Amino acid sequence: MLLPKFEYHEPLTVDEACRIMGELGQSAKPLAGGTDLIVNMKKKVLSPSHVVSLSGIADLKELDSGNGTVKIGACITASEIAQSETILKSFSALSKGAGSLGSPLIRNLATIAGNLVSARPAADFPPALLAYDGQVVLMKSTGERIVPLSDFFKGPGQTVMEPDELLTQIILQKPPAGSGAGFIKLGVRKTLEISLTNAAAYLALDQDGSIKTARVFLGSVAPTPLRSPSAEKILTGEKPDEALFEKAGEAAAGDSKPIDDFRASAEYKKAMVAVLTKRALNMAFKEANAG
Amino acid sequence: MSEYDVINSRAPRLDAPDKATGRAKYIDDLKMPNMLYGALLQSPFAHAKILNIDTSRAEKLPGVKRVITAKDIGTVNYGISPARYDETVFCTDKARYVGDEIAAVAATDLETAHEALSLIQVDYEELPAILSIEEAMAEGAPAIQDKFPNNIGAEVHQEFGDVDAALKECDLVRTDTFINKRQDGAFIEPHGCVADFDRSGYLTLHSSAQSPHYTMRNVAMVLGLPIGKVRVVKPYVGGGFGPKMEATPMDYCASFLSKVTGCPVKMNYTREQVFLHSRARHQFVHKLTTGVKKDGTIVALANECHMDGGAYSSFGIATVYYAGSLLGAPYRLKNMKYDGYRLFTNKPACGAQRGHGGVAARAAWEQQVDILAEDLGIDPVEMRLRNSMEAGDVTCNDFNTSSFGMKECIQAVADGSDWKSKKGKLPEGKGIGVATGFFVSGAGYPIYRSETAHSTITIKLSDDGGIVHVFSGSAEIGQGSDTTIGMIAAEAVGVPLSDVRVESGDTDFGVDLGAYSSRQTLMTGHATKDAAENIKAQVLEVLSEEMGIPVEEMDVKRGLIVFKNGSPDFQKVRTIYVKEHRGFTDSPKEGSLTFKEAARLAYLRKGNIVGTGKYSPGELGGKFKGATVGTSPAYGPSAQVVEVSVDMETGQVTVDNMNDAHDCGFAINKTSVEAQMEGSLSMGLGEALYEEVKFDDKGNILNANLGEYKLATALDMPPVNAIIVESNEPAGPYGAKEVGEGAIMPTIPAILNAVYDAAGVRVWELPLTPERVYKAIKEKEAKEKEKK
Amino acid sequence: MKKLISVNINDKEYEVAVSPNQTLVDLIRNDLELTGTKKGCELGDCGSCTVIMDGKPVNSCLVLAVQANGKKITTIEGVANGEKLHPVQEAFVEHGAIQCGFCSPGMILSGKSLLESNPKPTELEIRTAISGNLCRCTGYQKIVEAIKDVSEK
Repeated sequence: MLLPKFEYHEPLTVDEACRIMGELGQSAKPLAGGTDLIVNMKKKVLSPSHVVSLSGIADLKELDSGNGTVKIGACITASEIAQSETILKSFSALSKGAGSLGSPLIRNLATIAGNLVSARPAADFPPALLAYDGQVVLMKSTGERIVPLSDFFKGPGQTVMEPDELLTQIILQKPPAGSGAGFIKLGVRKTLEISLTNAAAYLALDQDGSIKTARVFLGSVAPTPLRSPSAEKILTGEKPDEALFEKAGEAAAGDSKPIDDFRASAEYKKAMVAVLTKRALNMAFKEANAG
Repeated sequence: MSEYDVINSRAPRLDAPDKATGRAKYIDDLKMPNMLYGALLQSPFAHAKILNIDTSRAEKLPGVKRVITAKDIGTVNYGISPARYDETVFCTDKARYVGDEIAAVAATDLETAHEALSLIQVDYEELPAILSIEEAMAEGAPAIQDKFPNNIGAEVHQEFGDVDAALKECDLVRTDTFINKRQDGAFIEPHGCVADFDRSGYLTLHSSAQSPHYTMRNVAMVLGLPIGKVRVVKPYVGGGFGPKMEATPMDYCASFLSKVTGCPVKMNYTREQVFLHSRARHQFVHKLTTGVKKDGTIVALANECHMDGGAYSSFGIATVYYAGSLLGAPYRLKNMKYDGYRLFTNKPACGAQRGHGGVAARAAWEQQVDILAEDLGIDPVEMRLRNSMEAGDVTCNDFNTSSFGMKECIQAVADGSDWKSKKGKLPEGKGIGVATGFFVSGAGYPIYRSETAHSTITIKLSDDGGIVHVFSGSAEIGQGSDTTIGMIAAEAVGVPLSDVRVESGDTDFGVDLGAYSSRQTLMTGHATKDAAENIKAQVLEVLSEEMGIPVEEMDVKRGLIVFKNGSPDFQKVRTIYVKEHRGFTDSPKEGSLTFKEAARLAYLRKGNIVGTGKYSPGELGGKFKGATVGTSPAYGPSAQVVEVSVDMETGQVTVDNMNDAHDCGFAINKTSVEAQMEGSLSMGLGEALYEEVKFDDKGNILNANLGEYKLATALDMPPVNAIIVESNEPAGPYGAKEVGEGAIMPTIPAILNAVYDAAGVRVWELPLTPERVYKAIKEKEAKEKEKK
Repeated sequence: MKKLISVNINDKEYEVAVSPNQTLVDLIRNDLELTGTKKGCELGDCGSCTVIMDGKPVNSCLVLAVQANGKKITTIEGVANGEKLHPVQEAFVEHGAIQCGFCSPGMILSGKSLLESNPKPTELEIRTAISGNLCRCTGYQKIVEAIKDVSEK
């Protein structure tokens, strides 16, 4: 399979990359791991005349942890995130999401930013990052802006990013004690799967054990990762138990808007939202109790 | 202590070190000076008239050496079976599926070749496309092939015994309908070829082929070349499983392009093109009616089958027979009726894939037999044992079983899986299931009518006597046939395996029908044994003359001459050898005379020591129409017990372990037999749970890649306990018969039966995706609620 | 316009002019004629193009040749030690873990890579490490056994 012809750029700093993106705009695509861009170029879905490689930029591979905040560099790979003690300690659901992406070979190339920027509804990073209320740093030559991830996605393959912007960092606040999260993905096989449905849940418990904060995010059942306000409403203020989680699951199913496609029917996906949400909540609760 | 020195062991494969180090060359690894790259233009429509093809702009592109269409290469009809020669290399009047070949280009590099394709102007007139069996059979449906106005490309009606009468005598009768989906061969290496037409009119076609012989004949026929001037050579092949049995359009195009450009031409399929070419497993719809007696005896079977065959016949003329005939065993069945229909549709052509037409039929019937067993209150293992055939039994459709370890296989998996302590005792969501199956050990007749031997072998000894060089037209495609042949040759001559060199897959070495219908161990093995015994005889004859000892009093074992009476003085023979090898540091010093020295003597006395062998099955099978399909010199039965977990909330099925027992007659190489069983099981598991070629409503394949067409990964496959059963097949060399295709047979139904045991649902449509199982569970729950 | 890159493959330094749209697998196979690395799907679905790049097994069909500039790569040709097979290769041969052999280079590299970072893996860890390498011939049984055998020595 042949790749279309393009001009290749290899900036060494973020500033240089932003300058190039600023000049080329729509005609350029950033390249990190290549597991999405190269595939789509071979399938002739995308044919950018310019490709801007970010692999040479050391700053984008930094993982910063301190002061209750973790900053993840854009080009850190799914493998690195899945194997990071720092991430596992504070963001277990993110660790799980990263470890479920593709295959071990894909994970060694695929980057966290690539997974966000390609904005596939079934992507493995967004649900957990959203459950942890993450933010992204978007940079261009004239400056940077910080956008909550919940405002980032607009549709399949579409984000709020402007053509000359680069996603450079993901910012997460370390969750408080007495909180936990869970991520769960349903595929046909055990690996190398694009989710039929996935779900991430975050619970922070109050002193008396009731739910202070609940966040439920679903993947693959809407044009973008989807929040479930109905599930969150049912959960907030209540004492967690199996029956509550089941109700929350049903509510999440109600919020979901899946479509029939060649992978599965909308009806099935909706039913699975209920099951996966319940299971993710169980995982979150277990972790919240443990720590 | 084995009575054999080489065979029945775990000898490492001869080709493994090359494959482990990257030395092994496959078709895409071949490169020749001045080589051109070819590319195919394929129809984007499922059904369309071709009004005009304009190649002029493509021809003018710098770097393009030649553009060809039907008017250049000709329109000789071909197929894999002469009964249905319904293909031409390129479409003439119309395209019949998305992917049907229209034209080809040869250029200096691949990029130019592809650019040239985009410059070929084709005017199409779209026609209504037929994309299902129902559409093909509907009133007024357009004919995809003119010769078959009702789209039924092949039709079979057979009856053995009297099914209607027999059903009336049954205590329990049930009818079920089962559907599988198109599968793809999905070998990891896509097809490819490199054609090299020299300046003397000789074509050497390197091709990733399962049968160099069939490919050679077809290429010669289609291009109008004398057979003797066409040589087909296969390099290492990265899997075949059936779809690589027939010459691809690339084989014809590259050969022709090489001829007209005077350059070697290479062509490859992308993974997508592998899907578009297909020649893989059909979709079958089986309606089975089975009648049994109270005591579990299976009395009668009526099998109605409709198959989606795609746009051309390929192996389908055999498939439509196998879909009926392969239910004739392994149970004692006296009454069997089969009505089979193969429909043309505007999709890629389906052909033969591991297990051929028997896999879907077996899946359907084994689930049905399981239900009948339950309704009668008989344990499923017991049900199989009660009905199993034994060696010597003849099926109602005239299959002669000279060896048949069916019962031993069933017992082995029942024991190996601890069936007794698990069946009926597992919690909800956990299940255990059993199934059986069998397959032929080589098709009884070649695919084209002929008296040809099915396999011929030539063996030549190196002139120093040290190496036994075996030449075979057979195809090593990963199943281990080269090693099997080598081991048989070593055993039959009487030398260690390390003294045997096997070269294969080259039509210059002689006729061998190739790697299909699970034939090579039995058929090529037999020819090899013959040739090797001939070699041994020639050498011992010379030795006998030299030493004055009768041939019957000598033998060869482990590379040494064995004298049955006493220890005669062999110094004279040794001296001849040593004198001619002065300076050599490895001259024989053993206390016994070596085969090498005797063979050297034979060379000195007679010249090249060459032995030949051949094999033909002889007259087989019944006299009824279609009797030839399914007849075989031997049959390999197998049984499987599988344990599964079903996630009752999501429907996801996990296979936890598999016990498989296969009667291979006699294991020439035990590791290879187990390996073939394990591989068969993974293909069966894939078809049961994940694999399905999906089309949109315009006939485009939606999942023509290995991401969305899902093979089992190492995390999906469970541990497999492979148990070898040896029943000593009289028709096989050293008692050996097949394993390569038979082992897949029980896999799908064992999983279906285990899923029933775990979740209480019977699923009659493959694959068992989580959604399909979930729906079945929900329907069952709804029904139970209604009852209350 | 081609770009000149330097890449270390199997401990040998190469300087090659490559087109931006050339993949690493094509550089290795076509320009450098190291044909042990295979192409099964070219979309990262099958793993037969696996190479070790800067210590990690990756799908070389998804890496641009230009991205390999300055990197250290091991292909299957770099695994054996002269005449002597690497223990993983030896085990694959002994256990019958190789049938058609097309997935074997990728499998061996994934297995070798696992054992270098995790010398005593569990069966689940072995299966996970090779889960990106598809095999149609073996059912993975003898591959897992081979890797396990090496880990137990």
